[in-house]
Amino acid sequence: MTGISKSFGIVSVLEDVNLKVKHGEIHALLGENGAGKSTLIKILSGVHQKDAGQIVLNGEVINPENTHDGQLLGIKVVYQELSLVNDLSVAENIYLHKLGASKFWMNWKEINKDAQILIDSLGFDIDPTTRVRDLSIVKKQVVEIAKALSEDPKILVLDEPTTVFDPSDTQKLFDNLFQLKAKGISIIYISHHLEEIFKIADTVTVLRDGVDTGSMPVKDINSDDIIKLMIGRELKDLYPERNLKVGSLPVFEVKNLTAKNTLVHDVSFAVRAGEVLGIAGLGGSGRTETAKLIFGAHQKKSGKIFLNGAEIITKSPVDAVGYKIGLVSEDRKEEGVFLPLSIQKNISVTNFKAISERFGFINKEKENSNVQSLIKKLNIRTPSAATPVKNLSGGNQQKVALAKWLSIDSKVILIDEPTRGVDVGAKVEIYHLINEVAEKGVGVIVISSDMPEIMGIADRILVMYEGTIYGELSKEQFSEENILRYAIGKPLKK
Amino acid sequence: MGSTSKQKSSDSGGMLQFLIKYNTIFIFVVLVIFSAFISDVFFTSVNLSNLLKQVSGIGIISIGMLIVILTGGIDLSVGSLVALLAVAFALLVNIFALPLAILMTIAIGFAIGSVSGYLVAYQKMAPFIATLAMMTIARGMGFIYSKGSPVTFKTYGGLYMSNFANNSTLGIPNIAIVFFIIVLLAMIMLRYNVFGRIIIAIGSNEEASRLSGIKVNKYKFLVYAISGALAAIAAIIVAARTNLGSPNMGMAWELDAIAAVVIGGASLNGGRGTAINTLMGVLILGLISNILNLLNVPSYPQQVVKGGIIIFAVLLQRFENK
Repeated sequence: MTGISKSFGIVSVLEDVNLKVKHGEIHALLGENGAGKSTLIKILSGVHQKDAGQIVLNGEVINPENTHDGQLLGIKVVYQELSLVNDLSVAENIYLHKLGASKFWMNWKEINKDAQILIDSLGFDIDPTTRVRDLSIVKKQVVEIAKALSEDPKILVLDEPTTVFDPSDTQKLFDNLFQLKAKGISIIYISHHLEEIFKIADTVTVLRDGVDTGSMPVKDINSDDIIKLMIGRELKDLYPERNLKVGSLPVFEVKNLTAKNTLVHDVSFAVRAGEVLGIAGLGGSGRTETAKLIFGAHQKKSGKIFLNGAEIITKSPVDAVGYKIGLVSEDRKEEGVFLPLSIQKNISVTNFKAISERFGFINKEKENSNVQSLIKKLNIRTPSAATPVKNLSGGNQQKVALAKWLSIDSKVILIDEPTRGVDVGAKVEIYHLINEVAEKGVGVIVISSDMPEIMGIADRILVMYEGTIYGELSKEQFSEENILRYAIGKPLKK
Repeated sequence: MGSTSKQKSSDSGGMLQFLIKYNTIFIFVVLVIFSAFISDVFFTSVNLSNLLKQVSGIGIISIGMLIVILTGGIDLSVGSLVALLAVAFALLVNIFALPLAILMTIAIGFAIGSVSGYLVAYQKMAPFIATLAMMTIARGMGFIYSKGSPVTFKTYGGLYMSNFANNSTLGIPNIAIVFFIIVLLAMIMLRYNVFGRIIIAIGSNEEASRLSGIKVNKYKFLVYAISGALAAIAAIIVAARTNLGSPNMGMAWELDAIAAVVIGGASLNGGRGTAINTLMGVLILGLISNILNLLNVPSYPQQVVKGGIIIFAVLLQRFENK
């Protein structure tokens, strides 16, 4: 891939990126979240189309226009988010691509047998007739990899395949990758774990803010070099200095919170005034569900919630907002903002009580001054308050999502994935904003799957595993390894 | 909409941009000019006041349809509601004093609309299905209570009402004045009141509204109830014009109302639409019938032309969205 550029709207995601992968090599692709790794892969596999540049496969220029093209060309991607069909069996999932192929009737016996052989060859023990729904997350990941291999890929892309694996599973995977490599298959391997890179990769390419910083053989480089390339600046620039003036009393506390319809159970924690509390965990561990349970968007089965020492009951978001609890959802477009509506209407939506007068008539002056001061305070870059939110960049959209909770002087704000799809510049602004809000005595709970981020902004991190809080890390214990160990239900190493 | 909209039209400068932005008003003006040229009768006060009288009933239910559509819903029951409520009004006005009969009819309309609202908001039924069912129920009830034939006004109250409906004030038909007042109220509520803000928010993103602490169900319930109440006002007007309530009234009016709202640039997905544009949509539909009648075009070709205009208007709006 040479000279690849791509932008979404006004946000440029990739600029003149080069990636050259040789036959039968394992090529590590590194970079922070949002550096453009996923976008680059999605262009290769045909999910997105490039704006400029050229893709050459075995000397031929290719132009995958959709994922089907990508598959025909032998490019197979195992994404971080699993893409299995829960209600089909393991074998059916693995050979799903055959369902659209020439034969009208499926020979299930043969397919089950083939699937068994494939899984056995990977060294895992899974019955191909079980429904995917009933598998653990580790086994689901194995099925995902088996599915990719069943299509005889020429290029195999693995995006963070080991997040859910323990060390022995990871070793099994690596053995398999070495075998594939010996067969001449090229592998693009994306990971945050540098130690993995040094174990398996031949070459490494680092992306930073949509630009590649060059490729080099792994043997010529050490982990400090890679980190420098990935970050490009000192970490302390990115995250604000925490001025810890944490009060002794909790502003907000939950005790034994258990949900009616989700996996969340027995969640207890307290947030003190001025504290930023982080919640980490893998996808599906119940982080988002916990936030929604507190906010009243999910039904509670048992447990208690306290605000400034007094018990409160949040049966619906209406109740939660009444107690001045805010939720910034992880899914900005579907749940956070009103894309076609103006910034003004987005910000005012929580705040009708303050800006309206008798019979619900809106006082324009009050509304304008409130909205203008928030646009200024959050540095939302826009021509005017009347601009539809869909015309803003991801970062500015996220600021609007935050602004609606600042406009009602929330006492507690739950922020789920504060910077997903947000460019680095806006990230820094959002981090400082979170810091400021906390300093004013608001209880801030930040949920994030971005580990450097949560370690950078939280004072304390709770790690969730299978619906409950598995462990708590104090500032001195912060490390990616510790978070991950708790996140997969393992104790910390001594 | 302040500075950006102004900025846009002056930036691109072109007349075309302006026309696309205000396409509903543009179509309306073109139709008026066209009509004036093509027929001598068009610009007579008799014809214009007939036109206004003809559109007022559908116009009022179109406003109800607009607020339902703004939340992302639809109300198919309004045409049948007009029939049932016209019958109800005729029966009531023969028993009770006029003001009481009017209030009771509006209350019944609100109550029946509430049933749709309850099914949609609290039972999570698809609006299309819930109001489709209410449509047949209301039509059937209209036939039951009227025993299949029109119910004529027999009392002084009824006569007074039909007098009001067929007369004008300052040259404007009284029932058109009722319609315009309802449009004005809707405009004020949608632009300056929290109510309008909230239903537009619900229509543009229901989940985000819920997570912003808005009582989504309450407002979804309310819009159907209001639509029912507006159908009652439309029913009283059409009954009064002919001095009777008939179960055959309001046939397929829900479709005309939807057409008017859509011609007025509203999105059936919710979140976009204004009262003034719906008024334009109503007038455009009325104008087309009116001018075709003046030209002695039979009613079947009229339907074809109407359909064509709807398609044209919606295609024009696609440019606006780009």
